[in-house]
Amino acid sequence: MNTPAQPAAARPPRVLVVDDEPQIVRALKVVLREAGFEAIPAETASEALDLAAVRPPEAAIVDLVLPDGDGVEVTRTLREWSEMPILVLSAVGEEEQKVRALEAGADDYITKPFGARELVARLQAALRRAAPSEDEPIIAVQGLEVDLAARLVRRDSEPIHLTPIEFDLLRVLVRNRGRLMTHRKLLAEVWGPEYVDDIQPLRTHIARLRAKIEPEGAAGPRYIVTDPGVGYRFSL
Amino acid sequence: MRPLTFLLATEPPPRRAGVLVAVVAVALCTLLIYPLKQVAPVVSLGVVYLLAVLIVSAIWGALLGVFTAVLSAAAFNFFHLPPVGHFEIRNSSNWVALITFVVAAALVSSIAEVTRARTRDADARRREADLAAEMARLLLRGNNLAEALPTAAARLAQALELNSAAIEMEAVEGDERSVAFPLREGTRRLGTLLVGTDTSEQSLRRLQERVVPALEALLSAALERERLLGGVVETAALRRADTVKTALLRAVSHDLRSPLTAISAAGEAVGSPSLSPQEREEMAAVIQEEARRLSRLVDNLLDLSRLEAGAAEPRRDWTSVEDLIRAALRELAARPEEFSLSIDPDLPLVSVDPVQMERAFVNVLENARRHSGGFPVSVRGRAVRSLAHARARTVTAGGGRRAEEQAEEPTPAGDRVIVRVVDRGPGIPPAQLERVFEPFYRAGTSAGGHRGSGLGLAIARGFAEANAGSLHVESLPGQGAAFVFELPLSEPGEESPA
Repeated sequence: MNTPAQPAAARPPRVLVVDDEPQIVRALKVVLREAGFEAIPAETASEALDLAAVRPPEAAIVDLVLPDGDGVEVTRTLREWSEMPILVLSAVGEEEQKVRALEAGADDYITKPFGARELVARLQAALRRAAPSEDEPIIAVQGLEVDLAARLVRRDSEPIHLTPIEFDLLRVLVRNRGRLMTHRKLLAEVWGPEYVDDIQPLRTHIARLRAKIEPEGAAGPRYIVTDPGVGYRFSL
Repeated sequence: MRPLTFLLATEPPPRRAGVLVAVVAVALCTLLIYPLKQVAPVVSLGVVYLLAVLIVSAIWGALLGVFTAVLSAAAFNFFHLPPVGHFEIRNSSNWVALITFVVAAALVSSIAEVTRARTRDADARRREADLAAEMARLLLRGNNLAEALPTAAARLAQALELNSAAIEMEAVEGDERSVAFPLREGTRRLGTLLVGTDTSEQSLRRLQERVVPALEALLSAALERERLLGGVVETAALRRADTVKTALLRAVSHDLRSPLTAISAAGEAVGSPSLSPQEREEMAAVIQEEARRLSRLVDNLLDLSRLEAGAAEPRRDWTSVEDLIRAALRELAARPEEFSLSIDPDLPLVSVDPVQMERAFVNVLENARRHSGGFPVSVRGRAVRSLAHARARTVTAGGGRRAEEQAEEPTPAGDRVIVRVVDRGPGIPPAQLERVFEPFYRAGTSAGGHRGSGLGLAIARGFAEANAGSLHVESLPGQGAAFVFELPLSEPGEESPA
């Protein structure tokens, strides 16, 4: 277990950028530096793993398609020894790989072409989540208050009654807020590893949970956002 | 019984031989009776003649059989029955002999005739079965029914001893030279069997009764088979087209997004306050280069769809190969150290579509640069001519009599411009040599080696071929690759440049 240390004030956090497109890497280097990071570029999977071992980064951005392998393998290998946030870069048509990368431990994905601002925002969110926040007893997001210790939920100070399963679902989502939780990850955390393929009951419980916590008459869910075919994410 | 099968040969020997055999046999029997008289009463020796009668009737039939019977009775009467030396029918034994001979002749000849007919019939059936089997092989095995029909008709004519036979796949009326048998399946007309009008009545009947139904069944099966085969081929083609479309979507998805991402990120970076002047230049270069890459990709996609749709009709013009190559290098924004050019200054003009051939050169040169591992790519151009050709060309150049000379000119197999684009990269394994020209194929997985769209070489070959030229690759792994364009120097019947 290697929880990423908070970067010392003197040194900007290092971000490993694994992409075989030199132009993208060149531009990301500037963008990341501007946002206060130091980019460590790597063109191939093996180069990425070597660099990560020599100069452990605080986070990694990994392209799914690499000349000597794929980003899923890189993610899995990094995950074996590090809890650092990992963002994968994917393109339309690589959905299957994207889900595999998330299952292998990636924290989030971002679809090419992306705006640099969005990338930086996701990176910062992932780093914030990685910072220890285990003993946060009450989480309040946009009018929704979740008291993890007392297992109470209030919206705009109105108490909401949840079943134990609904509360567990909400707890997992809220504690990982902003992070994409795949169906399998949610099922494993709430029901247990033997239920990871029962997506239908998960959908039903999510629907009931939404009916209880989401404000009525809104255009779409405010708190629990669906990532079609992949999973759910509690909005920041 | 085997040795006697000649007795039942399907076709009897000539009748003249029969008469001769009858006379000789009767004479021999007459002579044979002389010694036999010593051991048996003469009256009973009449049976000896039965031998002659049986043999002749079995082989030559009833008519000669009866003739032999009468001749035997006469010879017996004249030579052996008292009074010897006279024809005299005195007692019933004469009549008995005559009647016995005649009855035996009639009986044996008719049995022989029946057997002979059966043999003939069996032979005919065997031939028909053989014919049907062979027709089935001819019509049902090949891949092209139309090509098999003349052979099948010839075989039919041979088997049925017809002077001419033809099978047509359409409704044809008989005329003064041919008799037409319509071939149908139910009410559907499949085609027509045509035979010469000189065919005998018997053969015509046999054709109608035996051959036509078999032929109808076979043709119907062959047509059905052809239809199903067509379906299979079509399905395979559709499936291939589908695979190509999926690959296209993937390629477009990945290859359009990468440059877009770079442009978008570089665009954002340009706005950064901390940007150094050098970085600003770098970002501008990223944007320009990636925009060019995008535009080339869009061009390639359009080219490929045009080539796949068969809509790449070249607009030919007399063009300098060197100009084409230099334009391609400009398009690629090539640096001088990236390519080393060696082009014969006397290279004749070629008649090609300059736009298409420039695209072909751009793609091959870009591919070579990408794989050359930093070494310069060598581009060499020269003309190759056969001697006979050189003579014809001299005349052409001298006077304007091209049209007349053209008739004598051999096909321009050896008369062409060759451009070799040689890189010093890792080369291509033999198994991949042809595959590199397939759309979306990307060679190898070497680091940084998959930045192409996988379309360029397919397009280059497509355009080279659309312009009557060719593009092939020669390579040994580890020793680089040579892409070789060959463009014909002239197309027969075309005007030379003024």
